[in-house]
Amino acid sequence: MTDRRENLLLLAPGLALLALAFILPIFRMLALSVQGEDGLTGAHFARFLGDPFYLGVLWRTVRLSLLITLICAVLGFPFAYIMARARPRLRTLLLIIVILPLMTSVVVRTFGWMVILSRNGILPEMLRDLGLAGRSFQLMRTETAIVLGMVQVLMPFMVLSILGVLARLDQRLEEAARTMGCSFLGALRHVVLPLSMPGIAVGAVLCFTLSASSFVTPNLLGGTRVQMLAASIYRAVTQTLDWNFAAAQSVILLVGILLVMAPYIVSQGRRHG
Amino acid sequence: MVREVPLWLKVAAGIFLAGMTLLLLGPLVVVLGVSVSESQFIAFPPQGLSLKWYAQVFGDARYLVSFRQSLVLALIVTGLASLFGGASAIAIHRRAIPGAGILATIFLSPLILPTIIYAVGMLMFWSATFGAVSFLTLVIGHTVICIPYVLRTTLAVLSESDPYLEEAARTMGAGRLARLWFVVLPQCLPGLAAGMFFAFNISFDEAVLSLFLRQPDLTTLPVRVYGQLEFSPDPSVAAVSSIMIGVTVLLLLLADRILGLKRFSEG
Repeated sequence: MTDRRENLLLLAPGLALLALAFILPIFRMLALSVQGEDGLTGAHFARFLGDPFYLGVLWRTVRLSLLITLICAVLGFPFAYIMARARPRLRTLLLIIVILPLMTSVVVRTFGWMVILSRNGILPEMLRDLGLAGRSFQLMRTETAIVLGMVQVLMPFMVLSILGVLARLDQRLEEAARTMGCSFLGALRHVVLPLSMPGIAVGAVLCFTLSASSFVTPNLLGGTRVQMLAASIYRAVTQTLDWNFAAAQSVILLVGILLVMAPYIVSQGRRHG
Repeated sequence: MVREVPLWLKVAAGIFLAGMTLLLLGPLVVVLGVSVSESQFIAFPPQGLSLKWYAQVFGDARYLVSFRQSLVLALIVTGLASLFGGASAIAIHRRAIPGAGILATIFLSPLILPTIIYAVGMLMFWSATFGAVSFLTLVIGHTVICIPYVLRTTLAVLSESDPYLEEAARTMGAGRLARLWFVVLPQCLPGLAAGMFFAFNISFDEAVLSLFLRQPDLTTLPVRVYGQLEFSPDPSVAAVSSIMIGVTVLLLLLADRILGLKRFSEG
């Protein structure tokens, strides 16, 4: 047996599984999205793009995903910075605070938010007590609820992406800026922030794609009234049983996500190529 | 001389850290709180202290069936993913096949593709080809999702390993299987173990694929909880959720004990 054959044998099972159980299903979905009564059709896409309701769902998905990504970046950067510069014991503690929720089921975390945001939950109650909200104030089934829940769900991805870059950053660069008379915040703004941009970019791509395709949290916190794209796909699959339409919506989601990732994938390819 | 970080900034950092901790851990604490409440209704802060909701969960056949299903599923998926992912990682690492870089990208693609899109495709493909969805469908789907994690952690470990060890074994007359088993596999082990933790955790907690492939007799624990949340949650859901948090904590402790938290977070 040659080396080449040994490697092929090692590779074959994984490749076969991926081809049969991953690539084929994706192609099946692509095929269904353009399949009509008689031959190819663009009707399922036309139905989505011609209906103000679905366009609204799409717009909400993009808008909320951008907002969620922005909040994650603004809060995640200082958190990751403090983690990178903290003493080992504090760093370990913060790492646990980030990883424990990340590893907990999204269903469980969303349940926690449902309790916090419910009519008599802590947050609405607090806002009412402070006089910031009226008696009929609701947080559940609003876009605010979705954003809050998703920021918690996706924050770990942003923090860990930035931390990966900050951990490798030469601390002397920062010290040099400080000795030259730069203030602490100045060094952060002009040295650390630009150098951590690759991490922020990776985190942002992750947060955006994950929140645009997220199902459990938006569906439970937003309900049927405040739908995002993934919830609309789920409804087409399980309730209206219109699989062609579900496939078309999935293709639209896929294309959108590939567009967002394209610059990142290209830059990765250049680095490895 | 570098000036110290100003005091007000340290105070602000402290407040910020406290707020972030509240944001990240708050939902989990709330779930744990609700699960020990005496009240019939979901309420936080908990009223009274009681373990009756846990007793109810352990007496409820539906939860127990789901728990067993999730556990068996996660164990099988962990085994399969480490087998497929590990073997592929070894072959890709050796770069003996042209296009190994592209291969790695193909193997990692389930990581990039949103699960919901894969779930839609898998449901449609399976229904058209084999008919009704079964436990096997879920095993295959979860394995596909988990392979990239094992592959990545194993590749990372292999890239730091000594390439001459295997050559040495070969010169000493070790056969192919002996080299794989006694030289390559031990080198892979730390990465393989980290990947297995990820695989178990992901499979045990995964909800989207399991929801799309849900059948009356095929309801994993996350799907069971999701269903309860959609309709009529009572504090027993909080008890189940707390048990799931417990499984996560256990897994984290185990991973820290065996691998160290640092390597784990880098995977």
